[in-house]
Amino acid sequence: MGPWSEKEAMTALGWMVLVPLLMAVAVLCVPQSAPRAPRLLTLTALGATLLLALRVFVGFESAPADADGYRMVTEIPGLGAPALGIRCRLGVDGLNVGLLLMGALVGLAAAACAREVQTRTKEFYFLLLLMVGGILGAFASLDLFFFYFFHELALVPTFLMIGLWGRGTDQAAVAYQMTLYLTAGALVALIGLIALYLQVPPELRTFDMPTLSRYFREHPLPPEVQGWIYPLLLFGFGVLVSLWPLHSWAPPGYAAAPTATAMVHAGVLKKFGLYGLLRVGQPWLPEAAADWAWVVAWLALGNLLYAGWAAMQQRDLGRLLGYASVAHMGFVFLGLAAGNAMGMTGAVVVMVAHGLLAAVSFALAGHLYQQTGTLEMGQMGGLARRMPFLGAALTMAALAGCGLPGFANFIGEVTVFLGAWQVPELRVVTVGGLWAALVVGAIYMLRAVRAILHGPPGIAGASGRDIEGGWERWPHAMLLAGLLFLGWLPQVLVGKVEPVAARMVQREPTGVLAPGLEVEGKALTFPAAAAEGRLREVDSVWTGDGGIRQGPGM
Amino acid sequence: MAGGVVHGLGKRDGAMKFEGLLWWILFLPLGAAVWITLRTLKNPGRSAALSIGAALASFVLAVIFWAANGWTTGQVSVSWWRIGSWTASFDLRVDPLSLLMLLVVTGVGSVIHIYSVGYMRGDPGYARYFACLSLFLFSMLGIVLAGNFLQMFVFWELVGVSSYLLIGHWFERPAAADAAKKAFLTNRLGDLGFLAGILVLQGVAGTLDFGRLEETWPEQVSALGATATVVGLLIFCGVVGKSAQFPLHVWLPDAMEGPTPVSALIHAATMVAAGVYLLCRVFFLFTPEALMVVAWTGGLTALLAASIAVQQNDIKRVLAYSTLSQLGYMVMGVGLGGPAAAMFHLVTHAFFKALLFLGAGSVICALHHEQNIWRMGGLWRRMPVTFWTFLVGTLALAGAWPLSGFFSKDALLAVAWGRSLPLFVLGVGVAVLTSFYMFRLVWVAFGGPARSEAAAHAAESPQGMLWPLRLLGVLSVVAGVIGIQPVLQAILPGLEGSHAASWWGRLMEPFHHAPVPAAAGLAALLIGVGLAWKGYAGGAEDPVPNRWPVLGRWLRDRFYLDELYEGTVIWFHDAWARVVAGVERWVLNGFCLGLVRGGTDLLGQSLRLLQSGNLQTYALVFVVGLALLLWWTLGG
Repeated sequence: MGPWSEKEAMTALGWMVLVPLLMAVAVLCVPQSAPRAPRLLTLTALGATLLLALRVFVGFESAPADADGYRMVTEIPGLGAPALGIRCRLGVDGLNVGLLLMGALVGLAAAACAREVQTRTKEFYFLLLLMVGGILGAFASLDLFFFYFFHELALVPTFLMIGLWGRGTDQAAVAYQMTLYLTAGALVALIGLIALYLQVPPELRTFDMPTLSRYFREHPLPPEVQGWIYPLLLFGFGVLVSLWPLHSWAPPGYAAAPTATAMVHAGVLKKFGLYGLLRVGQPWLPEAAADWAWVVAWLALGNLLYAGWAAMQQRDLGRLLGYASVAHMGFVFLGLAAGNAMGMTGAVVVMVAHGLLAAVSFALAGHLYQQTGTLEMGQMGGLARRMPFLGAALTMAALAGCGLPGFANFIGEVTVFLGAWQVPELRVVTVGGLWAALVVGAIYMLRAVRAILHGPPGIAGASGRDIEGGWERWPHAMLLAGLLFLGWLPQVLVGKVEPVAARMVQREPTGVLAPGLEVEGKALTFPAAAAEGRLREVDSVWTGDGGIRQGPGM
Repeated sequence: MAGGVVHGLGKRDGAMKFEGLLWWILFLPLGAAVWITLRTLKNPGRSAALSIGAALASFVLAVIFWAANGWTTGQVSVSWWRIGSWTASFDLRVDPLSLLMLLVVTGVGSVIHIYSVGYMRGDPGYARYFACLSLFLFSMLGIVLAGNFLQMFVFWELVGVSSYLLIGHWFERPAAADAAKKAFLTNRLGDLGFLAGILVLQGVAGTLDFGRLEETWPEQVSALGATATVVGLLIFCGVVGKSAQFPLHVWLPDAMEGPTPVSALIHAATMVAAGVYLLCRVFFLFTPEALMVVAWTGGLTALLAASIAVQQNDIKRVLAYSTLSQLGYMVMGVGLGGPAAAMFHLVTHAFFKALLFLGAGSVICALHHEQNIWRMGGLWRRMPVTFWTFLVGTLALAGAWPLSGFFSKDALLAVAWGRSLPLFVLGVGVAVLTSFYMFRLVWVAFGGPARSEAAAHAAESPQGMLWPLRLLGVLSVVAGVIGIQPVLQAILPGLEGSHAASWWGRLMEPFHHAPVPAAAGLAALLIGVGLAWKGYAGGAEDPVPNRWPVLGRWLRDRFYLDELYEGTVIWFHDAWARVVAGVERWVLNGFCLGLVRGGTDLLGQSLRLLQSGNLQTYALVFVVGLALLLWWTLGG
């Protein structure tokens, strides 16, 4: 018995995940005599994936939602072990539809920017397809087992890619460090996931995530149990997202990785941990999530300010972008910690926006490395004259990175700030976030632009050429267009995410309600304050009609 | 933008005619910028035509809208993004204040667009320049038409970016690239306070819409207490950054590295005035305590900048510090409770300051980019149109009757006279200094003998650059009496007077209404002119460094404030960055990861000892292990 008793049809969603994986196998079979074939096959496959992802995204609202709110639910036959309760089921809801589209965009752009790989191209494209297929499957998965499996499938190739095709002198050591660190984090998260699975009574055990969600909603776990499982998930997934202080793998890893790997990892893979916390941690362990919110917030501050300051000191563009991507994750954690619909919606928007931004930044850095042989910013200079397209694109990416309105990052960040400000305990952290976003972010990004693009020409780049012609420019243009589109028409994404976020929060016992929910004359409290017996005054409450009512203090 | 909702909110009127025109006015310049960037970067002529066309079209449409509706009030709203019941909306707000500003921005903007054709001829980045100029116009119009704080902030930042791109137009020059970076970062410091203020405001008032705030704020102020003052001060932070008030004024003089039309448009007439515009827009938000801070900040800036201008030798720097000083005047006016007077001065200042900058540009062009006034001289004969228009601009700035500057400066002085004697005295002092340094500039740059080869062979600029000068000259003369005051008087406090119908009545108005400030202003003008004449007419070098060397040096080196910034703000961030880098290297990577690596290694080494290859050892371990196992299962 179960909601999947009938075979569910293969939909666009199913093909979207399968196509890269199947094509990966096909690429392995390409003979040595066709050196350009792997790249062409990869681009075709990922192009098809992008079209399918667009179909899913555009058709999202019109697709019917099942009882748990998922649409386009698909089961991929043949994978899984039904006897153990493992089925490869995929579905979309507001949370992952944006991430899937972003993943497909970044995957295609990454394949297009993998021109630098000239040796053993077959193996490289095989690994790239595994990465993209794996992470798309992880985002779309409705089964706990495949959720984890697909992520590992996407993660392991990074080890090989950095080790074999990486840059710099010690890429093997960096590959080891990064992979071991990330795998350790994934292991800790796995322990948490297994612990959650085991909390369900044996006769009801299943790996199906919607069923588990429903179970945990109806039978919430006791706070003590939540109290030790949640940290496992938080820190395990946190490592994957470079939560401070578990971020040390990121800067050297991204500096040493080949362009395509850095794009897909920083853009897409990194978001998996946050997605896990939003999909599993927050709804299944709500009390623990609320209790740990202040820890998450202060660690987020560490991401924002610490990584931002570290970025200021970097002389290597790859490491600077690595630290910058660590810093941006702070916004998502802050939104998570806010625990209200605005915070969570903003967090998801930041995830999608940052994915596109990281991809285009690393793509441009990759081109610079190819043309000048170095990423030392001190040796560059005046490149905007020789490379106008790269200059324009890098300037736009830098400005998007410091939260300039007009790009999607601003929408996400401002929503996170507005959401976090509603929670009085998080105000100090929010101010720190403002400072990190507006000032520190601008300092290191503009210094980078000044060093690379402006001023008199430097040693490097005397002979480099620009990103020329439509064939080379389209991935960067595509990613920047995505950022601009979401920056000016954010409702396209926000409209999908917001209902899910609101629903997740409604069941929160924290007392900070999603805007739009009635209060019925009760005073709002924050759990800690209530526990102390004091009731706090909340500044304002939004009622359904958009007016305000002052929170009564007692 | 989902779900267009068009309605005419407002205190007075219902729906407005031709509401759609507002969207065209706002987005035509953006369209030009995008089209130029994507299609015509290689075609300078077409790029210029597109950009100028968009600017002129916006101006014409603005005039049509104004002619059809008069000084009306209304708002066009579209929902931008929604979360629950909170909506970020995109509003185009029309009221006399924004209409006036709309006309000024599009009008002066169009004039400067046309002037740029001549000034930037031959520049390799010609097309890029016009694309950025159009982007700027779009952003500035967004500020003027913004109907809520979030939208205002969006366009606030966009204007900052346009400024960054334009100051750094000649990016290969280190000075220009550094100046652009400095401008953006200094503005960002102000924006930090601005955004924090927006968050607080959303929290306490529940709305960011200007119209709704104006209705609900007065009731809330008494309940909010100190928070209301804090909100005002945080919003003022944004103004301090954008309008270059002390202590965030350091970016404006450096911004002169950009092309002169940019300095005229952005750093004199419009962008820097955006701060004053915002202050007038949300004047109701400020408590008396906040207004006091505002007034003294403005006054201090005015005095500081005017003093520094006295000893500057670069023609654009003198004008830059003059702009700083006049902005200080305007901010002081708002702080003293006279936002209408401040707006009036903003409008007249836009005309004569743009005129002065464009005139300076004409000189710079004619002298092959010479900007030091001590290498000019004798230009009054060789460049007559430039000279006479520049003189008109100077007289207007110094407050000579009956030019526009007299009326607006008098309005500000009148407000000060009525509210605060110290600030009135400060204002009159600044007027003396203003007159002094401006006429110093005129005598040295245009008068006396030619002091360099370039000056000796200077020729008048082409007509394309002269007609804007003539037009702005006319506006600088008449703007005081063409009827701006009544419009402002109706919507904001601070301008009094009956505004007689007859021309003579209007010209004599200030003397009847507030004779002391009017007389003081004129006296300041004459004193300044006299001192400048004594010191500089016909001289070959500046007498101040010889007579008062220490004072001269402090003034010339801008009171060492830039160096102070270097030493504190920049140093602070760099120090923290070094600490963090150290922690990264030694603690996290070195110690923690080292611990993990070392620990794993140690574990591996010790376990390896068990694999000794020695049969006896294996037998021993086997027996010991068995014994332990038995003890555990059977015993304890």
